[in-house]
Amino acid sequence: MSAKQEPVRILAPHSFRDVLSRRALLQIGAGSVGLTALLAACGSDSKSSSGSTAETAGSTATSGSTASSTGGSAAAGSILGDYSTVVNKSSGTLAMYTWGDYNDPSIVGDLADNELGITMKVDYYASNEDLITKLSTANGNSGFDVVVPTGPYIPQMIAKGLLQKFDKSKLANIVNVDTPYLGQDWDPTNEYSVCKDWGSTGWMWDTTKIKGDIASWKDFITAATGEASGNVSVLDTAVNLLGMYCWANGLDWNTEDSAELDAAEKFLVDEFAANIKAFDSYPSTKIAEGAYTLSMAWNGDARQAFSRIADAGGNPDDWKWALGSPDTELWMDNYCIPAGAPNPDAAHAWINWLLTPQISVKDLQYHGYNSGMKNMPALIAELAPDLTLGDMIFFSDEQVKSMHTQKITSAQDRIADIYNKVKAKAGG
Amino acid sequence: MIWYVLFFIVPIAFIVVYSFGAKDSSQRIPVDLSSPSFHNYGEAFSKTFFTTFTATIKIAVVATVLTVVIGFPVAYFLAFKVQEKWRAVLLALIIVPSFTSFLIRTLAWRIPLAPNGTLSTWLQDWGVISGPISVLETRTAVQIAIVYNYLGFMILPLFVALDRIEGVLREASKDLGAGRIATFMRVTLPLGGPGIAAGVLLTFIPMCGDYVTATVLGGAKGNMIGALIDSQFKGAQNWPLGSAIAVLMIGAVLAVLAVGALVVFGTQAVLRRRRRVDIGLVGVSS
Repeated sequence: MSAKQEPVRILAPHSFRDVLSRRALLQIGAGSVGLTALLAACGSDSKSSSGSTAETAGSTATSGSTASSTGGSAAAGSILGDYSTVVNKSSGTLAMYTWGDYNDPSIVGDLADNELGITMKVDYYASNEDLITKLSTANGNSGFDVVVPTGPYIPQMIAKGLLQKFDKSKLANIVNVDTPYLGQDWDPTNEYSVCKDWGSTGWMWDTTKIKGDIASWKDFITAATGEASGNVSVLDTAVNLLGMYCWANGLDWNTEDSAELDAAEKFLVDEFAANIKAFDSYPSTKIAEGAYTLSMAWNGDARQAFSRIADAGGNPDDWKWALGSPDTELWMDNYCIPAGAPNPDAAHAWINWLLTPQISVKDLQYHGYNSGMKNMPALIAELAPDLTLGDMIFFSDEQVKSMHTQKITSAQDRIADIYNKVKAKAGG
Repeated sequence: MIWYVLFFIVPIAFIVVYSFGAKDSSQRIPVDLSSPSFHNYGEAFSKTFFTTFTATIKIAVVATVLTVVIGFPVAYFLAFKVQEKWRAVLLALIIVPSFTSFLIRTLAWRIPLAPNGTLSTWLQDWGVISGPISVLETRTAVQIAIVYNYLGFMILPLFVALDRIEGVLREASKDLGAGRIATFMRVTLPLGGPGIAAGVLLTFIPMCGDYVTATVLGGAKGNMIGALIDSQFKGAQNWPLGSAIAVLMIGAVLAVLAVGALVVFGTQAVLRRRRRVDIGLVGVSS
């Protein structure tokens, strides 16, 4: 029934679909189902939200299945009341070095100016290595106040003295982050870093150019070396290309086995490289230009691609997205303050502001990655009931189980070497 | 002089020193100089990297030739054929585009070249081409844009050289019975030679090191050496290999220029000798 399907798409990420239907039957029975109630019920899966769950469920159980946004706003006070919303004013310029197109333009623009008194200046990099090189060569004089490294790279950045410790008194809103996203291996006490958001890797393809489904990394390789050859873009990072090979062959992408790496090199350089059109970490814009027919992409960028295709006059329905399978990546990017930052006060104020639920969700709607706020489903229902393509942002437990975090191993240099050979070969 | 040492010699010296080191990513400057070797040069010469190398030189040579072929008629026209009052306007038209950022001008090429772009759609509607334009992310795109980006640097020195040629010389040539072609070949072109040389220097060297054009338009196929060096330094944090490639590139550019200079001076010397003989004969006979 379409009425039932629609609220699920709008309100709840697809990741909760299984849970939803099961619980719907168990708890309330088919029929008059308060959508937000369902969401809240799922929300109780996350550890820190049991208190608000009951309230939300109570207050919205009577709302009709399609009127979920009304139901949400009725419960507004109770949900948002659970979050810390401290906003510290600051001043001056804040220079951020981050991944491309990674924040809502107003959050790094007017809004930061109006609400915090900070003028933002943003510069972009395409890989963690770029960031580390920039910071290490500048020796504390890079001039950046906020950087956004991926988790596994943080220990070496700390070891090289590239980051400074947070002043936790200025980050009151850190309590809003859901516990699974705090205290990661790379920084167990969040001394240096706090989750910006996390996501995964998959691909999107033009169904008018490529017949058949691309359901796994194996299919991806088949299509890339076949129908899509010469029109393929891959992420401009060494590990993602290795990941593609490893997951297609049932290997661990953190492998240090030299025989496996040799085999990976042989395949990637000799067989795969020639098919690559571009190494592109943010293919969404060029997908809209029509430059690629198959692109490896991070979920948020792929989600943006659909609206960009429409903006460019194309038909987004021609394109499909799939999450990497049978295994894929789980990455988490983190806000950090580099050593020698000229304006750490503004950096703290801005990061803390990003950890308020309203700003976090506003940002999430733009970049399309899970920002890790606690009780996320209820928060989305409340603040962004018309969020589109939520299934590209929130993943099911089953999907999350298939995701693996990168480890920095002794093979790091070897992987970089392989990648550079692939790059050189792709041009030849 | 101090300026020269500080900002040119010293950095290049560092690059040369680094090129003999080994990679050590645990350090801030990831170079280990404890056991210097030629290892990086060996790797830089390996087939994988060498293809990018030759591709870069090829792009730069073709582009330089094209800028001469396109630029010379323009400069000639400006210097000899255009009325005085229009000359300043036309020169301004050539210079003004370079007031825009190099990057923006390069990025702008993405619009007409985009497969789903307006131009592509029109051309298909009119039946000029059968499929969408598929030039972006190829070497052709880099080649087109690089000629466009550096054309101004060729036209200006050419114009200056041609403009300096006194009109009386060309008139004298005609008085002495030379036709248009002979005048061009034996008066205008030799006197414009220094302009061509300056133009070649001003375009060929930066083209070899060009990083923006290849990165913005080249994709994987149009990769040039600048982007490769960049990815060695930044991506792979392999400064020694990046340095070795850079040193080789400097060497290669100098070598190409040396060969070019030899050819030019050689032909000039030959021509001059022949001419002298001619004049001598004229002197004797009269």
